[in-house]
Amino acid sequence: MRTGNYKESVGQIIALSDSKAAWAWTAVLIAALIVAPYLVGAYALTLMVSALIAVIGAVGLNILTGTTGLISLGQAGFLAVGAYTNAILLTDYHLPVWLSLPAAGVAGALVSIVVGIPSLRLKGLYLAITTLAFAFIINHIILYAERLTHGPNGVFVTGAKLFGFGLQRGPALYYLTLALAVAAIFAALNLLRTRIGRAWIAIRDHDIAARVMGIDLVRYKLLAFVVSSFIVAIAGALLSLQIRFVNIDVFALILSIEALAIIILGGLGSVAGAVLGAVFLSYLPEAIRLVLSTVIDPSSPLYTNYVYEIRGIANGLVIVLFLRFKPDGLIGFWRDARKYWSNWPLAY
Amino acid sequence: MDFLGLLISTGLVSGATYGLIAMGFALIYKSTGVVNFAQGELVMLTAYVSFSLANALGLSFFPLLAVTVPISMVIGLVLERLIIRPMLSEPVFSIVMATVGLAVILRGIVVLVWGSEPLNFPAGLPTGVVTVAGVPFYPAQLCLLGALALVTLCAWLFLRFTRLGMAMRAVAANETAALLMGVSVDRIHAAAWMLSAAIAAVAGVLFAINFKLAPDLWFQGLKSFPAVILGGLDSVIGASLAGLIIGVIENLAQGYLGEGLREIAGFVVIIVVLMVRPYGLFGSADIERV
Repeated sequence: MRTGNYKESVGQIIALSDSKAAWAWTAVLIAALIVAPYLVGAYALTLMVSALIAVIGAVGLNILTGTTGLISLGQAGFLAVGAYTNAILLTDYHLPVWLSLPAAGVAGALVSIVVGIPSLRLKGLYLAITTLAFAFIINHIILYAERLTHGPNGVFVTGAKLFGFGLQRGPALYYLTLALAVAAIFAALNLLRTRIGRAWIAIRDHDIAARVMGIDLVRYKLLAFVVSSFIVAIAGALLSLQIRFVNIDVFALILSIEALAIIILGGLGSVAGAVLGAVFLSYLPEAIRLVLSTVIDPSSPLYTNYVYEIRGIANGLVIVLFLRFKPDGLIGFWRDARKYWSNWPLAY
Repeated sequence: MDFLGLLISTGLVSGATYGLIAMGFALIYKSTGVVNFAQGELVMLTAYVSFSLANALGLSFFPLLAVTVPISMVIGLVLERLIIRPMLSEPVFSIVMATVGLAVILRGIVVLVWGSEPLNFPAGLPTGVVTVAGVPFYPAQLCLLGALALVTLCAWLFLRFTRLGMAMRAVAANETAALLMGVSVDRIHAAAWMLSAAIAAVAGVLFAINFKLAPDLWFQGLKSFPAVILGGLDSVIGASLAGLIIGVIENLAQGYLGEGLREIAGFVVIIVVLMVRPYGLFGSADIERV
């Protein structure tokens, strides 16, 4: 009788999941997401697109910050590069979406090399603040390179079409985002089980030890920057398709901080955590709105005047309480539940 | 000469704000290893508290400062106890994110309590122009520069000669060793937050008198990052000097190179400096071993 879970080949060890149930439930989830547009209203669909874009962005950032350990506060900058590249190519150069989306990704990757090279020697919070500096500089360049970016006026994204489907309304944008989110998730998961992913994890755990073991720090750190920014810039491009108007105000610092909050609340270093965190923080404002509207009369002057601040406070409180009481993030709940389930009735 | 002198003098004044805020950052980083992203918000909160005090009590400048600083130290202590202390064993980065969350909360609270309109801070200072070395200054500007010099001197004396200051440096150098030598690390962390809040109060009041009191004051915290980094995250005195340097560089860039460069000049400078010295001008390099 077999008494445990034995791995008998390398293939089994590095498999994404050895559980048939996990694959089955993933298929069910994807099927549910595919039929979702026919079941929910337009507003819910918009929210779902936002959540999926956040998922793509979080998966991208997670490669850099969660897996490779390079803390980045420059997320807003990379999102801006992607969004502006996409918007400018679509509106001013009339390129089709299937060209402008990858072009946005490539632009993000190129910028990330410019950011990455000066950052190679830096660590921890010094790196975080340098990437913050780059985000400021990117915003400044966008604001002042008026002939290319229209400066403070922003760029409208109109008439985007993909294979004949208008991305302006209906589920087309949703399906595009869903497909790219699934692709990003599987790309990230697969990267993590290759030589590259293992090198990144080694760098995160101890970069000097990794270097001693023969990992080329320059190459793999830059690769992390490039891959991460490619994905993030695609998320930015999708964001420009969704909001249809890009302006520098969209890409304020708070976006970088929210992105970090997503991957930390989800569980740093885990792709599933990034996904959970992105979905959680995307729906948090909605949940707070619902809760607040039952506690406070929505028509009272306190609520109407200060709705933005109250939501901000609630948002901050959730982040602080989460870090305080569940530091390993949402994925920690899942791990605890799984452990509890498999060990029951014993504690461990 | 006149234009240059004016640029440098106003640069020094805005640089003095950066310097004060950056010292608050550095003090907390030095003893706790955490970058307090809520420092700008702390500056804003204490400035608003001081505004209410000034209106309620009708105090002039120096008594007002004497009342505000102890109150802000209590605020600093409460924040440390509520948010930072319970997270001591967590990874540094989680604590940093907690300060980010704290920043968002403080921003919301300030707008809820004091509203979003800019307020006129009653200075209680003379407004006649004083000329120093041929360059005109307002008394409030001189107060700001004087405060920076005084706080820097006090910080230096404190860290160099007092028992608590030495304990703080010991904790900064090696927390475990300090703990084993009988230094109460808990108390040092609390003290760092209190002193940092005190410096924030000085910065907040003087900024509000010199410029304006509005809910976007927190942004000064971000604008002070170049000063913190240039000085080296763990160098309190370096932060004060770097603040002045960044202030002057920003003004010169704005005056001679082009419109809008003020916003990013500091950030460009730190990228260049960090490429040469990855721990800032005055920061201490970590020696890492496998």
